[in-house]
Amino acid sequence: MRILWFVLSPLMALAVGLFFLGLSRRFMARIQWRVGPPLYQPLIDILRQFTQKSVSHGPLFDLGVVLSLASSFIVVLFMPLGGTAPLSSSGGFLVVLYLMLLGPLGIALSGGEAANPNVSIGISRKLILALGYEVPFLMIVLALMTYYGTISIGEIVAAQRESASAIASFPLVFSGIAYLLILPAMLGVRPFEVVGAAQEISSGPAAEYGGPYLALATIQHGLTMFIGISLFVNLLWGGASNPVVFFLKMLVVFAFGFWVNAAFPRLRVEQAVRYLWRWPTLIAFVGLILVATIGR
Amino acid sequence: MDRNQLMKWIKAPTKMAHKYSLNAVYFCTGCGVIEVPPTITSRWDAERFGVVPTATARQANLFLITGYVSVKTLRAIIRTYEQMPEPKYTVGFGSCTINGGMYWDSYNTINQLDKYIPIDGYIAGCMPRPEAIFVAVTHLWTLIDKDMADGYKRYRKNYAAYRANQEMILGEMEWPPIFQTEVATAITEREG
Amino acid sequence: MTNPLGTRLDATFKGVELRSGVDGRLAVVVPREAIVPVLTFLKEDGYDYLQLISCVDWIDRGEFELVYLLSFYTEEVVGGDGGKQEVLLKATVPREQASAPTATSVFAIAEPHEREIHELYGIHFEGHPRLTPLFLDRNYEIPPFRKDFDTKQYVADVFDRVPPIDEEG
Ligand code: SF4
Repeated sequence: MRILWFVLSPLMALAVGLFFLGLSRRFMARIQWRVGPPLYQPLIDILRQFTQKSVSHGPLFDLGVVLSLASSFIVVLFMPLGGTAPLSSSGGFLVVLYLMLLGPLGIALSGGEAANPNVSIGISRKLILALGYEVPFLMIVLALMTYYGTISIGEIVAAQRESASAIASFPLVFSGIAYLLILPAMLGVRPFEVVGAAQEISSGPAAEYGGPYLALATIQHGLTMFIGISLFVNLLWGGASNPVVFFLKMLVVFAFGFWVNAAFPRLRVEQAVRYLWRWPTLIAFVGLILVATIGR
Repeated sequence: MDRNQLMKWIKAPTKMAHKYSLNAVYFCTGCGVIEVPPTITSRWDAERFGVVPTATARQANLFLITGYVSVKTLRAIIRTYEQMPEPKYTVGFGSCTINGGMYWDSYNTINQLDKYIPIDGYIAGCMPRPEAIFVAVTHLWTLIDKDMADGYKRYRKNYAAYRANQEMILGEMEWPPIFQTEVATAITEREG
Repeated sequence: MTNPLGTRLDATFKGVELRSGVDGRLAVVVPREAIVPVLTFLKEDGYDYLQLISCVDWIDRGEFELVYLLSFYTEEVVGGDGGKQEVLLKATVPREQASAPTATSVFAIAEPHEREIHELYGIHFEGHPRLTPLFLDRNYEIPPFRKDFDTKQYVADVFDRVPPIDEEG
């Protein structure tokens, strides 16, 4: 059974991530009173990109994309997607925290090799933004680990199954709200979209990607979206007992994220950091203090 | 998707993918570009057919040259075109790209674009309506289906002639030839 | 002509000729040497905005006419009839060895305008800090906006000379 999940969960992440990419384009189109592309448009794009010839800017350029993609897939293996996670050990959560940084880092390494100024600007924005949301994120994580007394995602999910889900229980509700506030930044959607601004810095880190590289980067983007949302569902919304319910829960969170995407204009990077270090950090900090003092 | 389409997808998936994912370069040369914003936004919504603008040449496979081309722009166009990954398609938009249009006797606009880079199709008019872009796209689909949108192959095959023409207008160019002629011929023979 | 500004200009400078302006514009024709002093005078008078410098090629008369359009930013300048008044300053320079004093010492914005005129008409501006090409990156024997530049001949010589690509070969 566990062996099966090793194959199933990356596939599920891939499918759901691509589905989300397609859905987001459709979603935006409907909001702008357009018909929009078919839901499977990302698949067509990826097929097209894989069959195009592209130049490479050096070995690091190739390996960086692979690194970020691989780390994303490994993170997925640690996620209980409505069942047991294929790779679950007692310290799973800490590993996930480290591996999540490898995603942007791989893109940064690969983009650095390309020596395109737009890429460098995009990467520096990405890393600054990551600095912005990592602070509240770590506080949320700390609050959760303190509250449940464990550093394993699986155990947190199991504990929530027994009682109420975290977002519905008293001190943790602050962490839940803080997570919702930083979710758009983690997904890289609209108010925090400066990283890949298409018009100003020609899509930032992806500016030098063409052909297969772009396809891999698109898949990586889909996986990042999947990981951000599934972490929320697992940690704060009690996970799910089977993949279908899990997927439905993810869909709700996704809809929230894209409502934000459609409704808000873009923030400059320093405005984004100012926002991230003010409200989400404050709320997450209050949550952490409450958890530490009141406890379970 | 009807059955006919499905059969085509099964027979030649890459060709179909190239057809339905035409990503155009954001590159605006002349006045004709004013017709592109309505085409990609709510009124005409080109994204229905997978036609979206992309930020860089590396991500694109469609090059829409919208209008007159001055000598300086020609240099940028050639660079952009050479950066696009193959297969790539070019469409000249407006009469200025065909024979110079109303700028036929200007001191600084090259008249016939296809002397310098290969063109897969033209949209006539000054300026063409957004509907014409869709006609061009459907026409391009037919060409791709029949393997006739082969501008990039022609470019490789006749690279020496194209490069000579480019140098005739631009003088010394600041980048070396992208194809060695013998290599280009070899690739063409291998891939047809 | 009873325009207060015109009267004062007439009294201060030699050889100033006033023409009836249209649309609240006062047209002043000055000799070539008086361009900079008159511009300075007008600037002190409230015309602190140089909108454009234009050039006309009167090939039959064998001279270029430089046109400076002056307007105001900070305070509205009122003319003789009580309405807003702008000033068109005109000066002629000969076509042969065409040169004119630069206005950059009075209006810094004159720099790109004069560069453009230098490039397209071949007028030399004495004292201009950098008369390098602005738009064009080719050399023309006759600057292309002069009336004796034959565009048709030029197109035939340069652009039509490029052969079409022989696809079959
Ligand atoms: S064809 Fe007409 S609309 Fe298009 S660039 Fe030329 S002049 Fe402008």
